Amino acid sequence: MTAATDSTTRQAQDYLAAVEHELADLPTEDRSALLEDLAQHLDALAAEDDDRPVAVRLGPPAAYAADLRSAAGLPARGGVARAASLGMRERLDAVLATPAGRRIVPAAREVGRLLGELRPAWWVLRGYLVVLLPCLHELDGVSDFPVPAPLDNHLLGAVLVVAAVAGSVALGRRRMPRPLGLLVAASGVVVLLFTFVAWDRSEVSRGTYLGAAGTSPPEHAIGEYPLLSRYGPVTDVLPYAADGTPLEGALLYDQDGRPLQVGFQEWWADRCVRVLEQPLAADGVPVPHSFPQSYELLGLDVDIHSVPVSPGQCATDLPRPHVPLPVFPAESATD
Amino acid sequence: MDASQLLKGVLDVAVLAVVRDADGYGYDVVRRLRTAGLEEVGDASVYGTLRRLYQAGALTSYVVPSDEGPHRKYYAINDRGRSVLEDSTKTWRTFADTVDGLLTRPEVAA
Repeated sequence: MTAATDSTTRQAQDYLAAVEHELADLPTEDRSALLEDLAQHLDALAAEDDDRPVAVRLGPPAAYAADLRSAAGLPARGGVARAASLGMRERLDAVLATPAGRRIVPAAREVGRLLGELRPAWWVLRGYLVVLLPCLHELDGVSDFPVPAPLDNHLLGAVLVVAAVAGSVALGRRRMPRPLGLLVAASGVVVLLFTFVAWDRSEVSRGTYLGAAGTSPPEHAIGEYPLLSRYGPVTDVLPYAADGTPLEGALLYDQDGRPLQVGFQEWWADRCVRVLEQPLAADGVPVPHSFPQSYELLGLDVDIHSVPVSPGQCATDLPRPHVPLPVFPAESATD
Repeated sequence: MDASQLLKGVLDVAVLAVVRDADGYGYDVVRRLRTAGLEEVGDASVYGTLRRLYQAGALTSYVVPSDEGPHRKYYAINDRGRSVLEDSTKTWRTFADTVDGLLTRPEVAA
């Protein structure tokens, strides 16, 4: 299949899906008959020698659906719009009045009862998360799990967790006016979501806790930055010989002989875009643990912020940072 | 004058007339209408009309496998459709004659 026909097929599928969405409120029989015709129509159009996009030939999907409804004598989408102007409660009642809705009611009641029983657990959890969440953002090398360590202090974390849990439970037990209660529930859900995001980006998920938790370490890198120092993600290692000579192409391994894996450097001081060109072994496989990592300029006209590159902006050779190297006693150097 | 508004009123009779000559699938009906001079006819309007006439029992439909691609749904006129077409034709003739008469009377313009 060529790229052009591929794109035509995708366009047709998107168009069909958009019209289907517009007809979603119609009875199944009408909807499937109309969509079946449209699918055949789109096939026929695709076979023609006309490279205009489907949405140009047939008009926007919403207009197409509106014409279909009107010509087929079916109610306009306004029927649905009217439902949208009803209150949430009326719409819910309308759904529950349908046969499918009547089957949902007992199940929904059971779920509601279960959620009610789980509420105290949720109060405790949200109190804990309120303290844990900001701690996950600190890339300080101090484990924040299970006890968060704000300002690197586990004791402070424990005290804050107890206070936050107590406050959260007290808040949960109070009867609140409905809008306020909804607001508190919504903020709780937001805190939970943020925790998942922060967790994924935090050092906890990067393996610093793996040994303590007794889990076997992963074979491959976790996340974008598999190696962290106390200063943050490590994207390169610059080895030097004892006499201060910078080493190139040094192969580095960890304490168990596994190749050292570092993160990808996306941001450069000169803002130019670079790609990682790891040296290839004889079998053609890149060697990712050869250090320093070899980044090559991509030579684009724009930088990482899509701003045009000015002449001389991109450094062709990446200078090594100036580092004070230790001076060893003369006898150990000559031994 | 916006012909598309006029078209809405006569699309039923136009579609029935096209399938009276020969059975046709959706796109085929669209093309035959356009070839006949109704160039502004919208694809969706024709498909919607076919669906409504089928629901009203004026058309029957059957599926024909196609060598070139997926099967095609053909529409055919039935007795009920023919009688609807006959009535609509009479209505249209009367209506068109009346409007013609109005437009050609010199004193109307004066």
